[in-house]
Amino acid sequence: MKKKIMASLLSLSVAMGMLAGCGQSAAPGAAPAASEPAAAKDTAPAADSAGSGDDVTITFMASQDWIQDAEMELGKKFTEETGIKVDYQIVPSDQYESLLMTKINAGECTDIFGGQSSQFSIVTQFDVEKNAVDLSNESWAKNVDPAAAVELSAGGKLYGQPIQDVSACWAVAYNIALFDKLGLKIPTNYAEFCDVCEKIKAEGIIPIYECVSDGWHHVCWTEAAVAATQADPSYPDKLNNNQATFEGNKELTTMFSQLKEMADKGYMGDNYMSNEYADAPASIASGEYAMVLYNQGLGAEVNAADPSFPEDNIGYFVNPLCDNQALNVNYCGPSRFIFSGSKNIDAAKKYLEFMASDDSLAYMTENVGKFNQLPYSNAPSAYSKVVQDFYDRYPNKVAVFQASVKYYNPAWMDIGADMSAMFLGEMTPEEVLKDIDKLRAEQAAAASDPAWK
Amino acid sequence: MNKSKRYPGYFASGALIIYFVFFFLPGIIGVGYSFTDWSAYSDKLHFVGFQNFKTVFSSDENYMKIIFNTLWFTLVTTVLKNVIGLILALLLTKSIKFLNLHRGIVFMPSVLSTLIIGMIFKSILDPKSGLFNSFLRSVGLGMLAQKWLVSSELAFGSVMAVDIWRGVGYIMTILIAGLLSISTDYYEAASIDGADGWQKFRYITFPLILPTLATTTVLNVIYGLKVFDMVYALTNGGPGKATTEVLYTAVFKKFGTGQYAVGTALSSVMFVIMIFVGIYMIRIMTKNEVEE
Repeated sequence: MKKKIMASLLSLSVAMGMLAGCGQSAAPGAAPAASEPAAAKDTAPAADSAGSGDDVTITFMASQDWIQDAEMELGKKFTEETGIKVDYQIVPSDQYESLLMTKINAGECTDIFGGQSSQFSIVTQFDVEKNAVDLSNESWAKNVDPAAAVELSAGGKLYGQPIQDVSACWAVAYNIALFDKLGLKIPTNYAEFCDVCEKIKAEGIIPIYECVSDGWHHVCWTEAAVAATQADPSYPDKLNNNQATFEGNKELTTMFSQLKEMADKGYMGDNYMSNEYADAPASIASGEYAMVLYNQGLGAEVNAADPSFPEDNIGYFVNPLCDNQALNVNYCGPSRFIFSGSKNIDAAKKYLEFMASDDSLAYMTENVGKFNQLPYSNAPSAYSKVVQDFYDRYPNKVAVFQASVKYYNPAWMDIGADMSAMFLGEMTPEEVLKDIDKLRAEQAAAASDPAWK
Repeated sequence: MNKSKRYPGYFASGALIIYFVFFFLPGIIGVGYSFTDWSAYSDKLHFVGFQNFKTVFSSDENYMKIIFNTLWFTLVTTVLKNVIGLILALLLTKSIKFLNLHRGIVFMPSVLSTLIIGMIFKSILDPKSGLFNSFLRSVGLGMLAQKWLVSSELAFGSVMAVDIWRGVGYIMTILIAGLLSISTDYYEAASIDGADGWQKFRYITFPLILPTLATTTVLNVIYGLKVFDMVYALTNGGPGKATTEVLYTAVFKKFGTGQYAVGTALSSVMFVIMIFVGIYMIRIMTKNEVEE
């Protein structure tokens, strides 16, 4: 009998082990203590650690592709100059968001963390007023492009520093020589785009390189939702005030249906579910694929993958889903934030100051193909003719949902999972739209958004 | 046993206090939180009754599928690891050349990091350039080349197969120890009586290895219910909505998005399942043992 009691206790202990991780030693009521003004933490713990740089190592976590080789080179120079070491922690993009939010929510984040800017999501998702350091008074803050600064500010304070060129947008990058050889013209609507894909496919070339396995890239196609904004300019505001839904919107239904159709017609080839974003330049360089949704730095990256492929052999046209012909602009992008719980705040500030210096911005622009114009007044411009032609061709600029619609950006990876299910035939476009409404409602409810009450 | 030779009960108090404070209490607090709206977005906490459990059991959500996936993963990997482990253990207790080398090779995956194994297999199972499909194509079996990790039909099976490959060596090692502890006298006596190989296994090896199999079963079940890293590294719950999602990857994602309450509710449901599974397993294991 005693053995049975012991056995039952053992099984209980196994089960308790499962739950142990779910508890928290501090009650939620204690949270305000952690949310005490970041400024209080700004000075005290950092003052003694960052002065000379002796034995100080700052940690910087970011998603794959957010920290360029050029930045790591600059990091070495920063260490030489200040003695402060930088530990870069690069996380696969499909896992980054969960990991980052877990670390922030657990109060154990790195000194600097990378996060997507957006005036909405930096508040609802990162809660920057609690979790990030106010950078408004930093020497470089005044140089940040006002449009980018808006997306990094909350309550009139600047909390982040842009990492990437936000003038670039997700557009269809194509092999110019191949288009010329096949007599193809830049499509101006979805039907023409399908014609182009059919002709390329007929040549035994896969029209579009898509990489669903990363979890985020295929969601970039939804930036064609600017078509919904064009059809009804008040639509984003209605979404933000919970007066409209994604479900039932004509343009959005069309957009997802066309995306599914592209996959079903074989325009993305057989391996789009397992392709990886990092292989896109090499895949275009090899000639196996003709187009990819990319920012305006693909030419340089393809050239780096294969020096015989000229950099200016890559052209761009806007995402043609929903017959869109507007430039999908987004002043949001990966940015650096200093974690308010960091013990190396001053050292982290020095790193940000170093990265925003004239020399560093020039170095980054020169050495990172996709950086044409970093969003700082002291950054040089390096638009190539091909890129300038692209921007000139589409004078109509419309903000993407990532920037204009609340709770869209935080749901990005979940939308990616839904779209992946749509490609596999597990969900319909209508169900994906319905789920986006649900995901947004969950975020809004958690944030106690009055519009959702 | 002579009662005077027993250690007094308070000797266990240190361990019990540590266990109570660091395991039992947080566990109970976790269950308590599942009845609230605890989230990363608000410092306020409200009692919401069974709202989170309604969400978990709602037909609009995938949580039931996730719980089913976890139980299915546990069942399949436990059975196959035990069966394959036992076959390998039987083979590798015979007098064969390079015995320790063979044992070492089979055991080696168990000492590798699961995350590293996951990343390596993600590359090996790539449908286009992966080693596995390339091998199949090179030997004329191209028709068997599949989208192992990105097809909704095959992904979960592939994840389980990789996990079985990783864990079977460990189980085999435990079973080898169990097999070697069986006295050879039984086999000699059986041979004299004219028993064949199957009869020796059926009437000697199997009954005597059962306690060891019970141990490996417990280890496998606990591992299966708590599996996280293998799924996280191979598919991160995809492809699609929840094809390979298991409990801990779902809880991790819920905590990642700051929806703590739903995460704890999900854990609480699993807690109840684990109690039933645990009690049932212990009962079976202790069924034939002599009571004190």
